[in-house]
Amino acid sequence: MSRVIAFCFLLLAAVIGVLHLDTRPAWAPFADSLAAVVEEAVEEELPLPASSPKQAATKPFNKLLAKPIIESSIAKPHATWLPDTDAPSVHAASLIALKDGGIRAFWFAGSREGARDVVINSAVFDSRSSLWTAPTVVINRVDAEKGLARYIAKLGNPVPSRMSDGRLQLFFVTVSIGGWAGSSISTIISDDEGLTWSQPQRLISSPLLNISTLVKSPALTFSDGRLGLPAYHEWIGRFGEFLRVDAAQVIDKRRMSSGRGAIQPVIFTNSPQDAAAYFRQTRKAGLPKIIPASLTSDAGQTWQVSQDLAIANPNAAIAGLTLKNGIRLLALNNIEVGRARLVLLMRLPQSDQWQIVQTLEDDEALPNDQRKEFSYPYLMSGDGQDVHLAYTWDRKKIRHVHYSSAWLKREYQQLSAPTQAPDANTKEGQP
Amino acid sequence: MINWMQTLALIELSITCGVVIVWFIHLTINKFLPMAMRWILVLILANVFFWPMGLSLELPLVGYVRGVTGDLSVVLTLLLWSAVMLPSRPVPVGFRVALICIALMFYPLALGLGMFDPYVWGYGSLGFLIGVVLFALVCGLLGWTKGVWIFAIAIIAWAGHWHESANLWDYVLDPLLAFWALITCIRILFIRRRNKAQSGYLFRPG
Repeated sequence: MSRVIAFCFLLLAAVIGVLHLDTRPAWAPFADSLAAVVEEAVEEELPLPASSPKQAATKPFNKLLAKPIIESSIAKPHATWLPDTDAPSVHAASLIALKDGGIRAFWFAGSREGARDVVINSAVFDSRSSLWTAPTVVINRVDAEKGLARYIAKLGNPVPSRMSDGRLQLFFVTVSIGGWAGSSISTIISDDEGLTWSQPQRLISSPLLNISTLVKSPALTFSDGRLGLPAYHEWIGRFGEFLRVDAAQVIDKRRMSSGRGAIQPVIFTNSPQDAAAYFRQTRKAGLPKIIPASLTSDAGQTWQVSQDLAIANPNAAIAGLTLKNGIRLLALNNIEVGRARLVLLMRLPQSDQWQIVQTLEDDEALPNDQRKEFSYPYLMSGDGQDVHLAYTWDRKKIRHVHYSSAWLKREYQQLSAPTQAPDANTKEGQP
Repeated sequence: MINWMQTLALIELSITCGVVIVWFIHLTINKFLPMAMRWILVLILANVFFWPMGLSLELPLVGYVRGVTGDLSVVLTLLLWSAVMLPSRPVPVGFRVALICIALMFYPLALGLGMFDPYVWGYGSLGFLIGVVLFALVCGLLGWTKGVWIFAIAIIAWAGHWHESANLWDYVLDPLLAFWALITCIRILFIRRRNKAQSGYLFRPG
């Protein structure tokens, strides 16, 4: 009799489970589709006769090339420093556009990376005055562990995102035990553009005590408003994962690579279904020190490892961005060892070739003990036309560079001219 | 909502900590305490783990445990609680062996071996839900009714989002459960071999 009752209860549980499955949202296409934006822009500004799809894809680039830029009107890249917090070590800066046109930066700072006194700082950049506000502490270790109701040993890697309802969401890494391999992702949400934050919540993304999932790159938006967060594992395996996030909950995830050679994915969407991911390589000695890549043709539900992008990578983070006009940028260390050189690359039209448009830092000519580290770039656009770049400067400061839309277009025109700029693996770039 | 969820998780883990300590007392003295004493001990220990202790601790003791283990699966939690707090038969060896086999296949794949990730099934796969229900059904048909109850509660907990995870795997399996199954299976094997050897000695012709 007791067994019959147990079976009836199991049947009830099964029905509840099926009903719960029925409420789960289906996978959605990418919302950040370049093609949609490009076609709209072309229709508005450059009406042309009907053409083939291939020709249509070249329209934004033609539009860029058609209008000569007046040199005197071009503002040079403007570099600033993020405000000093007096912390000896700073790292992992990220940026997001605010509704009032400002830019909010996040980074972690403390006595050293992984120390218990590390906090996540934030400051706002006023685009009109080109000044940063005083830094504030978004969250520290003790507040994180009280909110998450568990011990937290250290914090790291803040990555902001904009939710579909307009709220600001910050993902960050927490570690309870061990090194970064023991990381989990947590999140906080702000209703007032980052002035105040909610209690932290934990994202569950791994079956082994939820350890070893980290975040570094910005999230994408799906057409249903949910976020696609590129994440990675860094323990037994070193591979990329694509998390489908609904507020503070992982509702699905997909593997982007496998093995021990690719972390910190950066995703470029080509259409609502197609995207390419580039990774920081973590391969063992003897294997190519270039950028691993993966492709998806079903909005991130499945990923196939593809041919490497032939740009040197010294096991260092890369950053990527697509502008509204179709220009694509990468910021990275294009060397096989060390992080003493940092460059900004631009992709040639209708090509997989990337070329240097600016060498931001280069200590390669200095002796080893005098070289500084320039690392963890993060690219972001305020209006889809200009570009903000933040990166770690020798672990002591965070550098911020703003590129105007006109400067980027001019660089693009020069790249497209018959005399080509240096390719991504050559040393000299345009300063 | 979130604070409620966190408090519930801390209460659950505090009780589990108390149960584990009582279980270790059993193992140490090799004798079962009276049921009433077990309940009283668990109640006291759970309170010790749950409430802030002051001193220099930033969190109650259970917060430190949760920092390492996270939320344990509902199956492990209920198995532990029922084994120590209720009169119960031992967990069938077949269940433990099945658990080991599943864990040995699941964890390497879920932790990055190849591009196939079975952990994904736990988010929204009807096939996986049916698999869990069938597993529970087999437990019942083989005479382990408690297993049916445990898996049924785990499914309801997942559907009701009792823990932070939205993945059914996290409600039915965790590495500590797999480790327990492995250790106890080895122990059972060892005891059986020892008994067999002793019985051979007793009945050996002189």
